[in-house]
Amino acid sequence: MNTELLPENLRRTISDDLAPVRPLPPAWMRTLYAVAVAAAGLAIVVAAFKLSLRPDFEQLPMWLSWGCTALQLVVGIVLVGMALREAVPGSGVPAGAVVLALSTGVVMQILVGIATWMHSPGMPLIKGHGLNAGVTCSTHDLALALPALAITLWLVFRALPLRPSIAGLLGGTGAAVTADAVNHILCPMSDLRHVLVWHTGMLFGLMLVGWVAGKLWERKRFGNA
Amino acid sequence: MGVDRKAEEERLIALMIGYQKGSMDDFEGLYAALKQPLLRYLWTFVRNATMAEDLLQDTFLQIHRARQTYTPPRPVRPWVYAITRHVALMHLRSGRRRKEMLADDQLPEVPVPPEMEKFADKATLHRMLSELPHQSQEVLMLHHLLGMSFQEIGQILGIASGTAKVRSHRALKALRERLAEDQGGDA
Repeated sequence: MNTELLPENLRRTISDDLAPVRPLPPAWMRTLYAVAVAAAGLAIVVAAFKLSLRPDFEQLPMWLSWGCTALQLVVGIVLVGMALREAVPGSGVPAGAVVLALSTGVVMQILVGIATWMHSPGMPLIKGHGLNAGVTCSTHDLALALPALAITLWLVFRALPLRPSIAGLLGGTGAAVTADAVNHILCPMSDLRHVLVWHTGMLFGLMLVGWVAGKLWERKRFGNA
Repeated sequence: MGVDRKAEEERLIALMIGYQKGSMDDFEGLYAALKQPLLRYLWTFVRNATMAEDLLQDTFLQIHRARQTYTPPRPVRPWVYAITRHVALMHLRSGRRRKEMLADDQLPEVPVPPEMEKFADKATLHRMLSELPHQSQEVLMLHHLLGMSFQEIGQILGIASGTAKVRSHRALKALRERLAEDQGGDA
C-alpha cells in the first residue's frame, strides 16, 4: 500500500473517525420506505380529520376518481424517488428529467381539477365563505402532505445531495402531488377558483417549502451557499 | 483496456466496501488509486497545483463524511468525482479562488486529449484547451483523459448521457477549429 502518499493530517483525521458505516440502501428501497411512512401518515390524517369521499363521488367516472388518484400517486412516488436519487452523489437527475417531472406533477393537478369541474360542479362556492373553505382545504392538503414531505426530506438530507434545492424541490412536489391525489377525491368543491387558488396554490407552496429546505440545508452543511 | 477498466472498477468497489467497514488500509488504497486523476480534475477548476492539492484533502474529507452514501456495487468513480466537482465548485463560489496561476512547466500532467496530440505540440494544445469554456474542458477531461463513459459523465454532472456526448463532440470540434486557425495563422 502506497501509504506515503497520504498527508499526515488527513491520515490522522480519518483514522480518528473511522467507525464502520452502513451503506445507504438503493434509491428504490428508500422510496418504498418513504411510501410506507407516507401511506401510514395519510391514513392517520384522514382518520384524525374524519375526512370522507366527496358527496358527488359516484357521479365522477372511474378514470377521473380512482384512476386519476392512482395516476397522481404514481407521479408523486416517481418525484419522491427522483428526490432520493438526486440525494446521492453521482446519481444526479438530468435537468430535463427534473423539469419534465415537475411540470407533469403541476399540469396533472390542474388538468384533474378542470376535468372534475367539467364532470361535476360539486358543492357550490357560497359567497363570503370562499376563504373559510379555502383555508380548510389548504389545511387538509398540508396535513396530508406533511408525512410524505417530512420523511422524504429526512431521507434526502440524511444522504449528501449536491444540489439540495433541486432534491428538496422534487421532494416537496412529490409530497404535494401525493396529497392532492388523495384530496381530489375528498374535497367536495369543484369550482375552478377554489381549486386553482387553494389546491394549486398549496402545491406551489409545498414546492417552495422543499426548495427552501434544500437551500437552508446547503447553507448549514456547506456554509456558503 | 476494457478488461483493465473493469478490473480497476472492481478493485475500487472492494476498497470502498472495506473502507465503509472501517479499514484504514482500504482508505489508503483508495487515496493512492484516486489521487492523481482527482488532482488533474481539480486542476481544471483552479489551474493551480497547490490549490488543487488543498482541495484534494477537502475532497477526501467530504468523501469520508459521506462514505455511507456510497451504495455497493455501484461504480465508485461517478460518486467520487461528483463529490470532487462539488468541492471545487464550492471553493470557486466561496471567492477564495486565487487569481495567480502557475507557469505551464509547473503544472501537473497537462490535460490534453491523447488523440489531439498528433495535431500540435503539447504546449499549444494546452493553451488552446485552456481557452475553451470550462464546461467543454471538463467533459474532454473526464472522457478522453480519465476514461469515463458518457453515462458516468452524465451521473457526475447531473446531465443526460446524450448531452455529455454532444458537449464532448462540440468541444473537440472547437479545439480542432482553433488549431486549424492557429496553424493557418502560423503559415
